[in-house]
Amino acid sequence: MITKRLAQQVLNECLSTGCDFAEIFLEETETEKLSVDNLCVETASSMTSYGAGIRLIRDLESVYGYTNDISKKGLMSLAFSLKQSFDEKRKKECAPIKKMRINNRHAPKIPYASYSKEERVRLLKKIASAMEIDEKIVRTLVNLNCNMQEVQIFNSDGKEVNDCRIRGRISMMAVAKDENGIETSHEGPGAQKGMEFFLEENDLVAKAKEVAEVALTMLKAKECPSGKMPVVIGNGFGGVIFHEACGHSLEASSVSKNLSVFSGKKGTQIASKLVSAVDDGTIPGGWGSGNVDDEGNRCQKNVLIKNGVLTSYMVDPFNGKRMNEKETGSSRRESYRYEPTSRMTNTFILPGKSTVEEMIKATPYGLYAKSLGGGSVNPATGEFNFAVDEAYMIEDGKITYPVKGATLIGSGSEILKKIDMVGNDLKRAQGMCGAASGSIPVDVGQPTIRVSEITVGGRGGVRQ
Amino acid sequence: MKFDIYFEEAEKIGLEALELYYEKESSLSFSLFHEEIESYRVSDTYALTARGIYKGKFGYCSTEKKDRCTPKYVVEQIKENAGINETKEIAEIYKGSARYVKKNVYNGEYKKIPTEHKIALAKEMERSLRKADSRIREVEIEYSESESEIGLLNSYGLKLKNKSNSLVYYVCAHATDESGETKSGYKISFENDFDKFNPNEIVREVVDKTISQLGGKPCKSGKYKTILDKKVVASLLSFFLSSASAEAISKKSSMLVDKLNTKIASKKLTIEERPLTRNMFFRSFDDEGVATSNKKIVDKGILKTYLYDLKNARKFNVEPTGNGYKGGDGKAGISFVNIYLKPGKKSLNELFQVVQDGIYITSVEGLHAGMNAQSGNFSLQAKGYQIENGKKGRPITLITVAGNLFDMIQNIKEVGSDSELLSSGFTSSSMYIKSMAISGN
Repeated sequence: MITKRLAQQVLNECLSTGCDFAEIFLEETETEKLSVDNLCVETASSMTSYGAGIRLIRDLESVYGYTNDISKKGLMSLAFSLKQSFDEKRKKECAPIKKMRINNRHAPKIPYASYSKEERVRLLKKIASAMEIDEKIVRTLVNLNCNMQEVQIFNSDGKEVNDCRIRGRISMMAVAKDENGIETSHEGPGAQKGMEFFLEENDLVAKAKEVAEVALTMLKAKECPSGKMPVVIGNGFGGVIFHEACGHSLEASSVSKNLSVFSGKKGTQIASKLVSAVDDGTIPGGWGSGNVDDEGNRCQKNVLIKNGVLTSYMVDPFNGKRMNEKETGSSRRESYRYEPTSRMTNTFILPGKSTVEEMIKATPYGLYAKSLGGGSVNPATGEFNFAVDEAYMIEDGKITYPVKGATLIGSGSEILKKIDMVGNDLKRAQGMCGAASGSIPVDVGQPTIRVSEITVGGRGGVRQ
Repeated sequence: MKFDIYFEEAEKIGLEALELYYEKESSLSFSLFHEEIESYRVSDTYALTARGIYKGKFGYCSTEKKDRCTPKYVVEQIKENAGINETKEIAEIYKGSARYVKKNVYNGEYKKIPTEHKIALAKEMERSLRKADSRIREVEIEYSESESEIGLLNSYGLKLKNKSNSLVYYVCAHATDESGETKSGYKISFENDFDKFNPNEIVREVVDKTISQLGGKPCKSGKYKTILDKKVVASLLSFFLSSASAEAISKKSSMLVDKLNTKIASKKLTIEERPLTRNMFFRSFDDEGVATSNKKIVDKGILKTYLYDLKNARKFNVEPTGNGYKGGDGKAGISFVNIYLKPGKKSLNELFQVVQDGIYITSVEGLHAGMNAQSGNFSLQAKGYQIENGKKGRPITLITVAGNLFDMIQNIKEVGSDSELLSSGFTSSSMYIKSMAISGN
């Protein structure tokens, strides 16, 4: 996108008023969206995002600016305006720039470009038709979103990194309706891969049927009772509980400022001994993976919790300075419009030994939260909430009937300690995570787990 | 900016019509940590969203690029995307309304105030917060100012422009008590005139919101008379408004199907859209170029209108209501600006008096997942206070409030008089609901 020479010039302009680090992040992202609503192509759109972000750091002070004008004039004028924040003499010159070699571990086998828009439409319609298993399915919605993000990163330490990230995701939703109400169900498989992920590695038609079946099941569901009870949380997207209730609180952006419940807890037991968890940005083709993070540092596998003991945070270089820790390849951002900070990649609880049947059997009365929806957490207090999309009551060690409208609430640090069974069925699922540096693709994941007690909210009254 | 070339290129490749919508934005923001500037940001951006008609269908393309090849690229993408579009609706680019209200809501005075002064005010608020109560352990303060110009041009010669600006302080405190439990409280204060900020008032409100939550515990599960804070009211009612979208009506995915001119809520509920109010949310045209107008959506509990963009107005054979606003992909969706909930006569304290014993909910979390936008069923994490003997009492936390939005609005007993324009562009007031299901202990 820009030459080494121009990068050096801009970085030197940044350094001229005394900052100790400067970085340029350039990006061009092409996104293509296709949306098939009730078997009809409703939208086809193309989007280009294009621009540069410049960051200056002095000690624990950071200055960030961005623009769409990546000409010499545009970048120099942004550098000039940013450097006004500092008023010291130049401390250093930009080091000679050397390009870092990257071995792309996430390159697509079947590029999107080789598969025409018409062919993509045919695939989406096949998925949509597969959801029409009952006349109560009143609406189907299938989207394909694919994008290619090319980035170029330069910094005053002499780094140049070029990376290309290609991602695709198909989301499918079924709406079921009868005289009692409307229920929706959805799935959204995605990967940092090409069309092979949808054509060869996944049976999307089978997935689509499941989605429709869940929507129909939930039509028959009763309102979920409320109160404190044991909860068996399903694998895959159930890992959002760990993502929200624990993952965010392990990000250096809140830990370093002492704003997290887990600040200063490294080496201590924060979870049940059954819990080990990782943040692994190296999984080939993983939705949240990368060759390098958005500062050009190599992605890595970080063991966050081992047998219940907190072993590592997710650290970006800037917050790492404050807490005196090395970065962990965790610095991410949605686009050039965001200053990067510590974020998750693919974060999940490692498998244990129990089977789902054992967990259900061991529960006299409780909730089987098979599939969770989204949730949120306040990192300062650790308080979280999740919606449950698909749930069943467990009575006398058996699954009895579906329930709807359940919410799980609690505090992350407490829940972690209450995990008393961990399954052997680890699965990852894709999501978009929103935080300070924008909305980024991440995997959540876990095997099925049982929590001895969670507050369940619902409209079905309290069990007598 | 030179847009003529886009129209020329469009004509060359046979697009029947073209519409360009651009947004130019510049901003400055900073945040403090321990009274030092922790981050400082500036930005200057431009984005073009275009749609065009080819063989009677819409194609979409948006870009942030502005080089020589862009116009040709944009119109070609539109043509390709239109080629696979199968919607049956008639694609229409608007020729223009008879009249557009003109008001200047841009106030450039803020640029004359030096940034140092804006930083000093933030530091002063941080010091006051820390001084106000020793339990306040951390403070986060962010300031941001931005101005944006949007413009709409189309092949029929329509040219519209709107410029606005806003200045925002976000002030948040974290307090920890002897038991080690932490609570946070915040205030988003926004103006378009810097001199209107009232730092003492902001600090007082944040301290009160934060400290008063300490020691909070869940209450007993059960049904309670409930007062919802105006912020909560605005969040919940925005889901109601989404159900009034003609798109949702036409897709039959709304509970408001066939409810026009019927009573759908308590007579205490009157909701208006007032896009023409002179404030920073003012809009005289929507993103399709249709002139906006002030109108009642719900009048004393009766649903008066759905919200239409061009496409749905055509489908329902009515006039568009100026509610076509674009999403990220350039497609017009239905949205609204400057929503106004008609306030009642009683202050918040008077409402506490009326309720005597109940729950006052000050915040709900997890709306994106805990609210079923179609059925209106919700189950949300909440916090607030007990209402005891007609007064705000002890703090409660980690409860869930569950119910159905459409039932809830039938059960509005009173709307408060504490009307305030919130940062979401919603002028809202507190609300007293006859009964809500709370789950706690």
